[in-house]
Amino acid sequence: MIHGYWHPKGSASRFSATFEVNDLQRYSVTLEDGTTYRGDVSKLDISERLGNVARKITLEDGSLFTTLENDKVDELFKGRQKLNSFIHYLETHYRAIFVAIIVTFASGFAFFKWGIPWTSEKIAHALPYETNELIASGSMKFLDKAIFDESNLTKEKQQEVSKHFYDKLALLSLSDEKKIVYKLHFRSWKMGSTEIPNALALPSGDIVVTDKFIELAKNQDEIDAVLLHEMGHIVHRHGLEMMIEGTFITVAVMMITGDTSGMSDFGVGLGTALISSSYSRGHESEADRYAFDKMLQAKIDPKSFSNIMQRMTEYMATENNSSTSKDNNFLDYFASHPSTKERIEIANRYSECFRQGLTVCGI
Amino acid sequence: MEALHFSGKGSEYFKIWIVNVLLTIITIGIYYPWAKVRNRRYFYANTNLANRNFEYHATGKQLLLGFLIGVFLFSVYTFVTQIAPQFAGIFMILFMLILPWLIWRSLMFNMRVTSFSNVHFSFKGSLGRSYAIFLGYPLVGFLLLMVVGGLASTLIPALNGSGDVPTNKTALAIGSIIFGLLIIFGYIFMIALIRAKSKEYIIGNSYYGQGAFSTKLETKEFIKIYAKAFGLILIPLIIMAIGMSSLHYGGGAEIVFIVGYFGTLLGMLVIMAYVVSRERAYIYKNTLLDNKVTFKSTLGAREFAFVMFTNFLLVVFTIGLATPWAKVRVARLMLANTLVDTSVGFDEYITQQQSSVSAIGEQIGEAFDVDIDVGF
Repeated sequence: MIHGYWHPKGSASRFSATFEVNDLQRYSVTLEDGTTYRGDVSKLDISERLGNVARKITLEDGSLFTTLENDKVDELFKGRQKLNSFIHYLETHYRAIFVAIIVTFASGFAFFKWGIPWTSEKIAHALPYETNELIASGSMKFLDKAIFDESNLTKEKQQEVSKHFYDKLALLSLSDEKKIVYKLHFRSWKMGSTEIPNALALPSGDIVVTDKFIELAKNQDEIDAVLLHEMGHIVHRHGLEMMIEGTFITVAVMMITGDTSGMSDFGVGLGTALISSSYSRGHESEADRYAFDKMLQAKIDPKSFSNIMQRMTEYMATENNSSTSKDNNFLDYFASHPSTKERIEIANRYSECFRQGLTVCGI
Repeated sequence: MEALHFSGKGSEYFKIWIVNVLLTIITIGIYYPWAKVRNRRYFYANTNLANRNFEYHATGKQLLLGFLIGVFLFSVYTFVTQIAPQFAGIFMILFMLILPWLIWRSLMFNMRVTSFSNVHFSFKGSLGRSYAIFLGYPLVGFLLLMVVGGLASTLIPALNGSGDVPTNKTALAIGSIIFGLLIIFGYIFMIALIRAKSKEYIIGNSYYGQGAFSTKLETKEFIKIYAKAFGLILIPLIIMAIGMSSLHYGGGAEIVFIVGYFGTLLGMLVIMAYVVSRERAYIYKNTLLDNKVTFKSTLGAREFAFVMFTNFLLVVFTIGLATPWAKVRVARLMLANTLVDTSVGFDEYITQQQSSVSAIGEQIGEAFDVDIDVGF
């Protein structure tokens, strides 16, 4: 016998009542005054078990019997709500909870670590090439307006670097994607009084090199190494990938934190920044590998890459000697580039292959 | 008067919550609507008043279609604004245009699927009024502020004097202050007006069975609350200033970051808690059911801010695992501070016939964080 309350259909008024089922699968709800409602068990609508919240059994005539004696209801209607019983089983067994925690963390980690980058890469490459041009439209103008100044390099120097780029490097990537049209731009980039040595690639095929970078490069091989790295970003469609990844992160984070109120927004921004920078570290490594492979093909020593990287890092370090190494450690988590040390190590391994005269390196 | 009582437990809810998360992950999100129903039901059904409980009646199946549409639209929005940020403005306008509809549909749906002691709530507000409040008022306010801003940008340079006319510094200062105050108070007034009107619209068109809720809210009460909150905004600004100055006195980047981050957070929480608790007290005091059942909120700003801040720390330092306890704490606090006059009794209330409403609007709204709920 189950104790609870009986409500007439749609009414807030209620009466103490008991609920019973006989051998013939007929139920009876009996009120204190002796009134009894009977019917066939199969006609009952029983709400799902959820923790210990009041269970609702809706009778044929729309009236309602509610009870807190959940276990008795489960016992009585065993096998009737299979899926719900399974979920309730999970919710009440510590072993299942433990597994749930482990699986949740493992799959959450796998999803962010491999799932999102993998899917984004597939989508980025499935989209038509023109998407790359679409996302970069206007970027060059914006950069010119916001950070770059005109290059101070001589026309001759620019022509020399350009000629080599279009005649030699651009041809190396023909096998990857025929639609890419590379354009090389020379600019000067200053932050305060510091000239920044850098090279960057836009998804549209535009590559910008700064004056300071050309100045720091000791030979053509070093320039080639960096330009090939930038071409790697373009061939691998990293710009597009980052946007797709951004979409995924935002949607996933929204779903995860969806019902934890606005408070989570504070954590979300931080988390998103950390995840995105971890993805772009992956992109940098991929662009590095692209550059090394092409360098082996073109008989350029990958060592040039580590040389120029090291020189640029040292230059920046002496320029900002105010920022101590302690701060850098803290900011490392946000760094979009893999640590220079790591990159140089890989370059050296490729260089080893180069010295053995290999054009393919098994790393 | 009797306080509401939350009978759920953090440990029990944790198990439900983690299973929800697990099933949502292994079904790549499809389970989400069912998870949401289980979450909601847990909170509604554990909300008790006079030994009777609330109930949430929506089903996962009902929410699924709206959920899929919502996720799709949100993904498109996120992706397009990443590719072409210039479209963000167009999206904003589109969103503003459908927002009143989303709110209206959400209200109808959410009220209909909520019951207390076997009697359903309902919402009978008009769509037109929703547009007036959530689109009309903001638009008018925006235009007015534009006019004031335009006036300021023409008048202030004029005061500055031109050519050989000497600058009248006093006039310039007074002019700037007047316009500054005009804009700040204009802004506060608009928010207070919209808030008062929207609360009147939502509460005044809600029904419990055949019983109608009614409320009469004055904009000036909201202005008082917001004006004081505006004064409180100075707190996080001061904390941030301290954070910044510590940099000059040799503090490292970490300290600035931590002081700035947690200080701003705490400051914003205090303001939020102040506004929520004062608004709540005022609204509940002026709300009636059937012209006889009265309500009261005893939520204190300090208590609320304390729970929210400790919850934040709890959630952050357990990488989210303590979320269920955090939610239970909030529910407990809110309900214990919600008082209802139960002397009239509820026995006479009867569910009214209602046409069914799909959950599409409600779910799209949720995807874009439009939070319209029965809530306490």
